[in-house]
Amino acid sequence: MRVIVRSVSELCITAGTLIVLFVVYVLFWTGVKADHTMSDQIHQLQDQWSRQTAHPKASPSPTAPAKPAAYKDGRPFAIMYIPRLGFTWNKPVLEDTAVNTLKKGLGHYAGTAQLGQVGNFAVAGHRRTYGDPFVDFPQLRKGDAVVLTDGTTWFTYRIDKGPYKTVPTDIEVIDPVPRKSGYRASGRYLTLTTCDPEWGHSHRLIVWAHLDSTQPVEAGKPAALRR
Amino acid sequence: MSLVPWRDGRDGMYGWIWRHLPGNAWVKALISLVLALAVVYILFQYVFPWAEPLLPFNDVTVDNQ
Repeated sequence: MRVIVRSVSELCITAGTLIVLFVVYVLFWTGVKADHTMSDQIHQLQDQWSRQTAHPKASPSPTAPAKPAAYKDGRPFAIMYIPRLGFTWNKPVLEDTAVNTLKKGLGHYAGTAQLGQVGNFAVAGHRRTYGDPFVDFPQLRKGDAVVLTDGTTWFTYRIDKGPYKTVPTDIEVIDPVPRKSGYRASGRYLTLTTCDPEWGHSHRLIVWAHLDSTQPVEAGKPAALRR
Repeated sequence: MSLVPWRDGRDGMYGWIWRHLPGNAWVKALISLVLALAVVYILFQYVFPWAEPLLPFNDVTVDNQ
């Protein structure tokens, strides 16, 4: 009898400690790790871009903006800024939406349009854990700016609709012309997705935006990022 | 010997470990601390990263690619 009581109590203490440690890991440690990894990714990008400007390639034809090279899976290719989520809010955007990619930043849905191109540039991000990139997603409003840079160009998108709540199987929201967004003609769109409720996975939150303006990085930061 | 080595003892699993650590109480405490830290390290480095994706916080896409 005594042995059983002792074993059970020891088991409970062990399990309790394990659970507390796991909560610390999920709430705190994934954030510490993600902040570190994300700033690492951003530095990588800035390094890469500064080297590119040091050795400019042969200038592409001035009439058509060159289509960017295919993105490499799991590699960063852009930095996103959303002033509404905080003036210092900036996150790397990586190609594909694999679990391991989303630990390092926002994930671009492979197979959707490239940055600034005709179609729908769709990006997913964590609402909670791994740095909570989209924790304030519900505060996004029509007219908010979503600014991205790929090292050569600033792209300013303006939010038209959202946050729109839907179910996880609603893959239509990242279509080239997402029907529920209200867009009817093809254009240069952007879609952001995250989970809802904050800690759950039963629904998704979506915002849609259209490309408002572009400018070369030499022209300085776009108006949306100036204070 | 029964199923677990500490079943016959009078002091449970942690007591069994404590008794089998070498040295005096201070050395034992130090070794226990190192052991506990090692367990935490293994959990944070290997076990939790494996377990965390099984929870729903990762489902942020609409097509679950």
